[in-house]
Amino acid sequence: MPYTVAVDKDVCISSGKCVADAPQAFQFDADELAEVVDPSGLSDADKLVIARNCPSGAISIRDDAGNALDVD
Amino acid sequence: MSAPTIDVVTVQTFADAKDAYRQKELRQALYDDGEVIMADVLVNLHGTEHRNRRRVENRSFRRDTFELYERELFPAVTEQTLAPYLRAGSVDLVHLGHELMLNLAALTAGVDRPQETAEETGRLYDYTMLFIEGATLAHSTLDKDERRVAIFAALEEWDREFLTPSIARRRAAIAQLAAGEIAEADLPKDVLTTLLRSEGELDLPHEVIRREVAFLLLAGAHTSATAFVRSIDHILSWVEAHPEDQPKVVGDRLFVQRCIHETVRLNPSSPVGQRWALADVTLKSGLHVPKGGKLVIDLAAVNRDPEVFGPTAEAFDPYRELPPGVGPFGLSFGGGMHVCIGQDLAGGVVPAEDVDPNVHLYGLVAGAVQRLFNAGVRRDPANPPQRDAATARPYWGTYPVLLGPAD
Repeated sequence: MPYTVAVDKDVCISSGKCVADAPQAFQFDADELAEVVDPSGLSDADKLVIARNCPSGAISIRDDAGNALDVD
Repeated sequence: MSAPTIDVVTVQTFADAKDAYRQKELRQALYDDGEVIMADVLVNLHGTEHRNRRRVENRSFRRDTFELYERELFPAVTEQTLAPYLRAGSVDLVHLGHELMLNLAALTAGVDRPQETAEETGRLYDYTMLFIEGATLAHSTLDKDERRVAIFAALEEWDREFLTPSIARRRAAIAQLAAGEIAEADLPKDVLTTLLRSEGELDLPHEVIRREVAFLLLAGAHTSATAFVRSIDHILSWVEAHPEDQPKVVGDRLFVQRCIHETVRLNPSSPVGQRWALADVTLKSGLHVPKGGKLVIDLAAVNRDPEVFGPTAEAFDPYRELPPGVGPFGLSFGGGMHVCIGQDLAGGVVPAEDVDPNVHLYGLVAGAVQRLFNAGVRRDPANPPQRDAATARPYWGTYPVLLGPAD
């Protein structure tokens, strides 16, 4: 099972990097905070890169067992 | 009676610094001496107030806007700025860097120069240099109180000459848009316009808009200008030692971008980050900062952490290989909530392994630096560069270079 992706909106600063890098997977909500829409086109490696590129650390990744992965 | 003691904790590892930048209970402390310019500006805000302002200003810092700047607006401004110095065959890189980056920062901040004269640009340059001094007063070697008075007077003069007319033009354009007389695409794409359109969301008083735009002007001009000069210095030395890379400097912008990132890693614009602890904070490593204490992030050490950057971390090496998740510029752009809003504009996007060089964004510094190498930039043997004695920060004061074909 592929990794799951989540955005913590309390941490998101609307930098838009995830939306620019993977517009099919992320979008801005009505408050201009990032949200996950459809990450099915992303590989697990892509998800890790996008999470690591998030400047505020708002994106978290979990493996198929539900364990949070280190994206620092 | 002696002043109360403040606990100061210094961070010197990359992992601690990254962790610290993401702590919500650590508040910006770097600009406490620079309030004449920095009070209530974005990088000094915290919590909800910061998030709301950042969310609005980020609208001016989206990838599509960067593409417009990098591919259309900046190349034209660079050629215009450089032209007289190419004719002269020489220039001081410190002056050129600030003039060029000021021209670019004025575009992004939203400061107009309707007269389009050298004298007008010269006045804006002089104001901006005072604003830079104001924001970096913490490291000034001059009388700080005296300088604050002079900088505040300059801020008011700049407001009358540049900011107030720029605001009036944008308000008129916004009214025209509302009346259906112009299209969305006709509005200026700058932060001032974005702030004015956000009235009702932010309700910023004029004095705050004034400091915010002054800060954007100085930050855009100063950080990129220092990176511009230092990058050329590093690349000149690198090519002396590695002449086989000379063709890359003029023909491979990805290589130039790597040189910019390596320069920025070794030379963060501010040598330290500082935060006040709003509550007891314990980092993942166990490092503890008590409530009321100050955390100092020693960026020079952090960006040379051998655990991350290897045993040659002290050296300039554009071929450096990095672990996943580590930016090639270290933490020079900060991190967490206050990560530099103009990072991708100045430094470009960090290239992926499968990068397409035709659509990649390299950043304005890489574009400007490569333009100088295409113009034959080289040190002037008769005028060696000198450090700036007016600040404890390691800036170049003068850096004379020659341009054009070598004799």
